[in-house]
Amino acid sequence: MSIRLTVDGVEHHVTVARRKPHLVLLIDGVEHEVSRTPAIGNGRNLMAVGGRRVEFARAEVPDKQLVRLGGRTFEVGFVDPFSTAGGGASGADAVKAPMPGAIVSLQCAPGDSVTRGQPLVTIESMKLQTTLAAPRDGTIAAVLRSEGDTFEKDEVIVRLEPESEKV
Amino acid sequence: MTAAPLFKKVLIANRGEIACRIMRTLTEMGIGSVAIHHPVEARARHVTMADEAIEITGDTPVAAHLDIRQIIAAANTAGADAIHPGYGFLSENAAFAAAVAEAGLTFIGPDAQTISLMGDKISARNFAEAHGVAVAPSVMPTDDINDFIAKAGDIGFPLLIKAAAGGGGKGMNIVRTAADLAEAARLASSEAKRYFGDGRVYAETYVERPRHIEVQVLGDGQGNAIHLWERECSVQRRFQKIIEEAPAANLSPALREEICASAVQLARAAKYKNAGTVEYILGADGRFFFLEMNTRLQVEHPVTEMITGLDLVRAQIEIAAGKGLPIAQGDLVESGHAIECRICAENPDNDFMPETGVVQYLGVPEADWLRFENALQEGQKVSADFDPMLAKLVVHGSTRSDAVDRSVAALHDLSLLGVTTNIDYLARVLDHPAFRDGDLHTSFVQEHKQALAAPPATGLSLVQALAAAALGYRDFQDLALGTPEPYAAIGGWRN
Repeated sequence: MSIRLTVDGVEHHVTVARRKPHLVLLIDGVEHEVSRTPAIGNGRNLMAVGGRRVEFARAEVPDKQLVRLGGRTFEVGFVDPFSTAGGGASGADAVKAPMPGAIVSLQCAPGDSVTRGQPLVTIESMKLQTTLAAPRDGTIAAVLRSEGDTFEKDEVIVRLEPESEKV
Repeated sequence: MTAAPLFKKVLIANRGEIACRIMRTLTEMGIGSVAIHHPVEARARHVTMADEAIEITGDTPVAAHLDIRQIIAAANTAGADAIHPGYGFLSENAAFAAAVAEAGLTFIGPDAQTISLMGDKISARNFAEAHGVAVAPSVMPTDDINDFIAKAGDIGFPLLIKAAAGGGGKGMNIVRTAADLAEAARLASSEAKRYFGDGRVYAETYVERPRHIEVQVLGDGQGNAIHLWERECSVQRRFQKIIEEAPAANLSPALREEICASAVQLARAAKYKNAGTVEYILGADGRFFFLEMNTRLQVEHPVTEMITGLDLVRAQIEIAAGKGLPIAQGDLVESGHAIECRICAENPDNDFMPETGVVQYLGVPEADWLRFENALQEGQKVSADFDPMLAKLVVHGSTRSDAVDRSVAALHDLSLLGVTTNIDYLARVLDHPAFRDGDLHTSFVQEHKQALAAPPATGLSLVQALAAAALGYRDFQDLALGTPEPYAAIGGWRN
């Protein structure tokens, strides 16, 4: 039984190898002894891995943990074991807003065939304009916002038709 | 006997870190503080920190903070006798300064006329030129291309030819030698004609690898002015400063003296009253030209405070109250080096795109050589309503290299979790050999783009981060520490 985590889009596996005499985690296939276990919860924290004490700060947000350690903030994603195997299928159907803002213009309509990378929507946030592009080749299923509409971060703006089971 | 405070109560027409910073000085001076806020920021730190707070309304929070009539009404309601505008918002709005004066209140800043003079690029440039301050030589557009070529040659090389009606780089040419001038001018003119329907072009000195150097001045409004030395603000992204320092790196004492004297000359000529900043562009050849004058407190004023030991907000208040300049030029003592990093909610690895989120955890290192200027609170929502600058980390060191080391260490120990920030990026900039050498110019961020990108996560810290994250999930920790079998055997966990 292993927990699946992602950092910068790369998947990592953490498994409990042994509990006694000390906790040993198998991280990406390599054993690491954890001689001091961190506390649960947000904030400053301490643990020891491979005999080294390490101070860090942690905060949990939906679907990920933010771990600041060694002068770097790691965004560690949690891959839900109950989500579709292989993941990503539903994500690749949705074009989400990377930040809150307003729609400047739409470059697609339902039924359009689009290719990966094709600009679909121009949005503006904090006076910056940016383009949302098609995540893959496909057909536009729905455009959920109109020009001038505002939206929050991570709102779905455009949805693609699901990919057929067999290509 | 304690002297009476210079003002009874000051309304701060601002918010965020600068409002909190101004309040600190007001409290020290025994002056009451009045905050203003839009309903969305009712629990913001500048509101809870102030002696009194008054709600202002508007279609957007920013619109409320720009509503002159409401702000003056708030000052009257609170019985404030002066208004401090901070930076941004209405701080360089001549109509606001005039309205404050008309309402019988003191504006902690220059008079409306000075704001207007310096607020208009052309009038400011003409004023500076008329008073002996170096402006970039230029030739204004004319219909006679031969006359233009003759005059442009007098500017010296390299020079830049631009379309008078232009933009977007069209009709723009860099000319390096006199031999190329005539042809380049005709080419630029014909391009300008084609793109903009207007063939007139103008020329100005082209500054290669320009540095942004600015001088802090204080004027008493009677024609007396002093400088508090310069700051360097060359490290910018999207034409906005992200790292500032004082003094500037590698400036010869003579050049430094010359730039500072030029700023004082301008402030004296304008009978400037208030703290102000004269901005210059400095070329690799040591030539410098006036850019503009900011007639307000600057975001990066703390670096000057750190090397001079002066409180610029106190100086502003004393000047506004007619107490004159806080110190004579000759009595000013300079000590060490200071660096300010602007902590912004943005993703440097995604073209500095603004980010939003909720501040989940804030951990700030403490040291007597460090100021963390902020108005942050855990649980605070960082929205797109305001500027993405969240805080300023200001560090003092005995030398530039000491200040860089301390800044890197402080950024390393600073935790702001819940919204993506440029903290790690700033540390990479400071640690870059070119930054350490002081080889700065306004395209530094673009020039070193690759070297400044986040390195891939690998090695020991990645392993530690994964262990910390995995054990951060209670179900996994229970399993790891040996939970009763039936529970551990459920076969999965959800966060």
